[in-house]
Amino acid sequence: MSQRDSFQNFLARQCVWTIAVFTLLSVLQLWSQSPELPPGPVQGKIRTACLECHDSRIIVQQRLNKAAWTKEVDKMIKWGAVVDAADRDAFIDYLSSNFPSDKPAEPMSRTSSPKKRDHP
Amino acid sequence: MISRRDFLQQVSGAMVAAAASYPLLSWAADNAEVVVPGKEGMIVRSARFLDLEMPPEFADSWITPVHHFFVRNHMHEPSTLDANSWRLNIGGEVEKPLILSLADLAKLEPHSVTNTLECAGNGRGFQQPNVPGVQWGKGAVGTGRFTGPRLRDLLQRAGVKSTGKHVMFRGLDEIPGKVPAFIRSIPVEKATDSDTLVATHMNGAPLTRHHGFPARCLVPGWIGAASCKWLTEIKVLDKEFEGNFMKPAYRMPNQPIAPGGQVNPDDTHAVTGLNVKSIIAGPADGPLLKSKAVHIHGAAWAGEADVVRVEISTDSGATWQPAQLSKEQTHYAWRLWNYDWKAPKAGDYTLMSRATDSQGRTQPQSADWNPSGYLYNAIDQVKIHVAA
Repeated sequence: MSQRDSFQNFLARQCVWTIAVFTLLSVLQLWSQSPELPPGPVQGKIRTACLECHDSRIIVQQRLNKAAWTKEVDKMIKWGAVVDAADRDAFIDYLSSNFPSDKPAEPMSRTSSPKKRDHP
Repeated sequence: MISRRDFLQQVSGAMVAAAASYPLLSWAADNAEVVVPGKEGMIVRSARFLDLEMPPEFADSWITPVHHFFVRNHMHEPSTLDANSWRLNIGGEVEKPLILSLADLAKLEPHSVTNTLECAGNGRGFQQPNVPGVQWGKGAVGTGRFTGPRLRDLLQRAGVKSTGKHVMFRGLDEIPGKVPAFIRSIPVEKATDSDTLVATHMNGAPLTRHHGFPARCLVPGWIGAASCKWLTEIKVLDKEFEGNFMKPAYRMPNQPIAPGGQVNPDDTHAVTGLNVKSIIAGPADGPLLKSKAVHIHGAAWAGEADVVRVEISTDSGATWQPAQLSKEQTHYAWRLWNYDWKAPKAGDYTLMSRATDSQGRTQPQSADWNPSGYLYNAIDQVKIHVAA
C-alpha cells in the first residue's frame, strides 16, 4: 500500500469516528434537553415507564380529558410500557391533572444545526 | 486488521471531535435549542422518536430545502444503515421474487416527481375537542423533488400475479417494546402509477438518514405515511395489509361524526389522498406591523388534484379576493401564492387564505373532526396588528 493510500485510509477512519462521536453526542444532548415532568406521586415511575422510549415532549404537549388519557395509558401498557397494575389509575390521574384538555399549549423548542447538514 | 498505532490515532481523532463538539452543543442548550444536525429552525414536537415541524414562515419556497423539511418518525431510526449491504426484497404474489442492491436500483431508469408530502396528522393540534398524537401545527408538510426508479418497473420485473391486489412496504425502523411494526400497504393500481417511486434521491442529493436513506417509497399526492422510509421489503398481497397502521390507525370515518363522538372501526376507510389546503407563510401570526403595506403569501396544495384558486380575506372572512399563483407548478406539488394588500387604517386584522382545487373542493371554515385528527384543512388564518 502506498503512503498516499495509507493516509487516505487514515483520513477516512478519522471521518467515520468523527461522525460517530458527533452523532452520539447529539443523541445524548437531545435526551438531556427534554423538559422535566411536573412533580407528583408517580413522577419517577412515569419517567421510567414512558421515557424508556419517548421524549417527555410527547407527553407535555398533549391536552386530553381523563377518558382519552385512560385510552392512551392502556394502549401504551399493551405496547410494552412497564406499568405495575396497581399504578395504572395513579398514572391516569397524574397525566389528566397535569395535561388536561383546558390547559393552554406551551411553546416548543426549535432545532439548530450550526455545523453540518443531515448525514446518512 | 487495525494496528495499535492506527487504533490510537483513531481514538485521538474521536477525542478531538468530542472536544470540538461539546462547546457547540452546550451553546445550543443555553439557547434552549435542540441540536439536530442537518435541521435548522425546526419546531421540535419530539426528539425521540424524532418529529420535527417546519415553521410556517418556511413555506416560502417551491422546493423545501432538506434542512427545513419536516420529519415524522413512528419508531427509532435504524441504528445502522450501510449502502453496500442494504438490500430490497420483493416478494409475495409475484412470479419471480427479487433481491436488489442500491447499485441494481441505480441501473434502472430514474424518474423524478416534485411532490408535496404532508403528514396525515398535520394540523392535529387545531382539532377541537383535542385528540391524542403529535400535536402538529401547520408545518408537517414540505415539497421535495424525489428521484428513483418507478415502483412499477420493479414490480414488472418481479411479475405481479393476477392475485396481487395490494403492495405492502416494510422499513428498517427499530421497533420499541411490543409496538406493532410500521407496515402499511397501497392498492396495486396506485403502486403501478407511473409517478410512484422507490426514491433514492431528494432535491438532487442522496436521501438523508431522517428522510429514509438509502431508499424510500414516494406515493405522490397521498399522506406521508404511505411513503415508507428506509425501505427494505416490498410484498405483493392478495388484500389490504392487516396491521395496526392500516387499522385502526390511519382511518377516517365513512360518515361525518359530531366532534368528540365515537366511531365504529368497521365503518371507516384507509386515509389515502391529501385534502385541498393552504397555509399563510407570512405575515406571521401576532406581530405588530409598522407599515400598512402588507405582503401576504403562502402555499396551497391538493394531493392528487391541482390547486386552481387561492383567495384571501383581510376582513375575517366577510369578503374574498383572488391571490396571484406562482408560475412554478406541476402535478402533486404545491403552488406558492401572494397577495399585496394595503391596510385602510391602523388596527387589528384577521387575514385568511382558502384554496380551491380541480376537483371542486374548497377549504372549509372548520375541518371535519375525527378521533385521530387526520387531514385537518380548515381555512388558515393569522391575526396581525397594523400600527398607526
